[in-house]
Amino acid sequence: MSAAAAAEPQAAAAIAARGVSKAFGGVQALRSASFAASGGEVHALVGENGAGKSTLIKILGGRIPADAGSILLDGRPVRFGGTAEAARHGVGTVFQELTLLPWMSVAENLLLGREPRSALGLIRRSALAPEAEAVLAGLGIHHIDPRALAAEVSLAERQIIEIARVVIRRPRILLLDEPTSSLVEREVEWLFARIRDLRSAGTAIVFTSHRWNEITSIADRITIFRNGAEVGTYTAIDEGEAITLMTGRRVEALYPKLPPVPADAPPALKLAQASLDGAGINGAGIDGAGALSFSLAAGEILGIGGLAGQGHRELFLGLFGAPPLKQGKISVGGRPTRIAHPADAIRAGLGIALVPEDRKSEGLLLPLSVRDNLTLPILGRLSQFGVIRGAVERRMSRDIISRLAIVTPGPAQPVGTLSGGNQQKVLVGRWLLAESRILLLYDVTRGVDVATKHEIYELMARLAGEGRAILFYSSDTEELAHLCHRVLVLRGGRIAAELAPPALDAEAIVAAAMREADEAHAG
Amino acid sequence: MLFRFSPDSLRILAAYAAAVALFVIGAFVHPGFASFPSVTAILLVASFVGLVAAGQCFVILIGGIDLSVPWVLNAAAILLATSSLGQNSRALYAIALTLGMGALVGLANGIVIVWFAVPAVVMTLAMNGIVEGLALGLSGGMTCSACASYAPPVVAAAVHGVFLGVPAALWLWLVVIVVVSFVLSFTRFGRATYAIGNNPRAAFLAGVNVNLTTIFLYALSGLFSALAGILLVGFGGQASLGMGDPYLFQSIAAVVIGGVSILGGRGNYLGAAAGAVSLTALVSVLLALNMPEYGRSIIYGVVILALLLLYGREQRE
Repeated sequence: MSAAAAAEPQAAAAIAARGVSKAFGGVQALRSASFAASGGEVHALVGENGAGKSTLIKILGGRIPADAGSILLDGRPVRFGGTAEAARHGVGTVFQELTLLPWMSVAENLLLGREPRSALGLIRRSALAPEAEAVLAGLGIHHIDPRALAAEVSLAERQIIEIARVVIRRPRILLLDEPTSSLVEREVEWLFARIRDLRSAGTAIVFTSHRWNEITSIADRITIFRNGAEVGTYTAIDEGEAITLMTGRRVEALYPKLPPVPADAPPALKLAQASLDGAGINGAGIDGAGALSFSLAAGEILGIGGLAGQGHRELFLGLFGAPPLKQGKISVGGRPTRIAHPADAIRAGLGIALVPEDRKSEGLLLPLSVRDNLTLPILGRLSQFGVIRGAVERRMSRDIISRLAIVTPGPAQPVGTLSGGNQQKVLVGRWLLAESRILLLYDVTRGVDVATKHEIYELMARLAGEGRAILFYSSDTEELAHLCHRVLVLRGGRIAAELAPPALDAEAIVAAAMREADEAHAG
Repeated sequence: MLFRFSPDSLRILAAYAAAVALFVIGAFVHPGFASFPSVTAILLVASFVGLVAAGQCFVILIGGIDLSVPWVLNAAAILLATSSLGQNSRALYAIALTLGMGALVGLANGIVIVWFAVPAVVMTLAMNGIVEGLALGLSGGMTCSACASYAPPVVAAAVHGVFLGVPAALWLWLVVIVVVSFVLSFTRFGRATYAIGNNPRAAFLAGVNVNLTTIFLYALSGLFSALAGILLVGFGGQASLGMGDPYLFQSIAAVVIGGVSILGGRGNYLGAAAGAVSLTALVSVLLALNMPEYGRSIIYGVVILALLLLYGREQRE
């Protein structure tokens, strides 16, 4: 590891923050933080959730003003009144929250404000899609239909469009806040190729990520943030050391040791002859009607891998009845079960639980209390003649809060005020209260910081050890490789490969996921 | 939960404080304004708004709205008067029939909103028109003097009758306030209502029966409008055309003044009840100042707008 580069000359920096502070209500997000990135470098910004990375990017990108401190471009102080003004100065930002207009086409979103115009200055609608197609092709994107509505394309594709929209404006400084969180390997590779192009053209690129292998594969320098200020800037640092600096404490091995699945473990969940909907590879659609069957044993963590759009989401939602799978037989605890509705899934034999992809829009009721969020699925059991037994409810919420070590002032605290990791724990806790024995975990570590990830991993291993069955999808292949007893790689709605140790590693998952995609590319 | 000083409780307290302040101002403007008979009279008028607001509060809590209030109320008043023929012996039957009509109309609102995914604004507005047409058609526009009928004396007595020094209708309202607040705060149904209001998708994925709850809430709104219609006939003695018109704006205003978020998910009926009192007291003060109708309308509008701005700001933080 190299020493902190404190002596980096500020004048050389394409963009710099000096002593920047920002508070939201009573929370101090940045405390006199400093940061500098030069032209022609990729600079990673890492730290736990709440360390201040996103706030810094928002300030640098002109989205919010700083309370104190200054922003310098090429050594000159600037003050941005908004993102448009920042863009005029050559600062382009992809924020963490997606900003596409859902009911406009991909082309309209991409070319917003720079549409092809006729001699009269009117937008030439007929030229929109061809121009967008050309622009996307120039960036190496061929699989997104510019005529589709933004609301219709997948999350990963929306993210790609967001990035493309900023990149085509040729910013001198490109800020990317967790650009890869919803992307899978192949798309990440696409993004990194673009980033390398921009770097050799002299652009300063700042990005945040929670995935260490990504950071080391592309970053020239790494600045670590903790508690709203920088810890230091490094040119090379190993993961363990970085985690220690980020968290202020040592984390032992990131992935826990999995308890073995007992040889006589009964099947908890069986799916037979199911069909999935999905975009398929390069939008080719999925043809595997009735082709998907698998069995998940009690105590097993079964990973589901593959490229985006291969039907993972449909599978997870389908097993939970939201909406039900169009075709396929589900049996729970050995008994054929019809699941038409989440309430059916929750009540089914061993109890099925879903922790969805986006805890903010699908999981939690953010303004409501931790307690309300924990007990919502079990209110029927907690009520007498429809009236909730308050004392029992309080006791149960307290129990689960201490069992999962959820950091909250109390059960009455609005869940939206908790940190991301603790919110995720509330969601898991909800299903422990519901005594669900089958957990469907859909990309639960997305956008979660490393220390919390570690806790979630430990929790998963513990839950499996207690005999719970876990179906686990992750966009992070490393996670699948380390946390699962077995991984099924989905491709076109079918199981393309079943991987188990010793053949189970990240490379094997990626290889199985890509094989057909490459064939499709070639053809 | 009810008495924690969260921003939500503060809004409810503010609504009560506004009501008290208006009575104090009224007493300065017009001696006797804050006397016991005057206060009970104002509260009695507020109770009609408050009952309609109970239903409105339920649907606004899930981010919906009920614009069919005016004619459900009016139709209820007409139905009660015509089906009872002003006779005590038929009162019970007429009341049951009228409440059933209200609930049924609300049920129809809910079913169409849920199953056909029609926006609540569109559906309930259309329903208001349909019920208006039905009421006018079936009652013959209430133009013949022979079909003009009166509330059964027992209904009139139930409104005006005094129990422990307070009009009976006020006791009824008090019971409604207690029951509705209890249901919202301490029952499974109430919890489901807030869950849907905050995030219907997340509520659904937590096993809440979103469709059934939504339909039931609209049915309740219809029921409360009908109840208010019955009491208004008892209060005035007779049903008249257009008597429900003021209650749409007033019920929504009461809910908003009471701190219920117009986007759903936040607030409580305790606040809406205070909102109904404040609104009625405000009208009475303006009347005491001899403010003409147009002036009152302007002030109404300004008050609602100001509160929405104030609360909207709070939520954005």
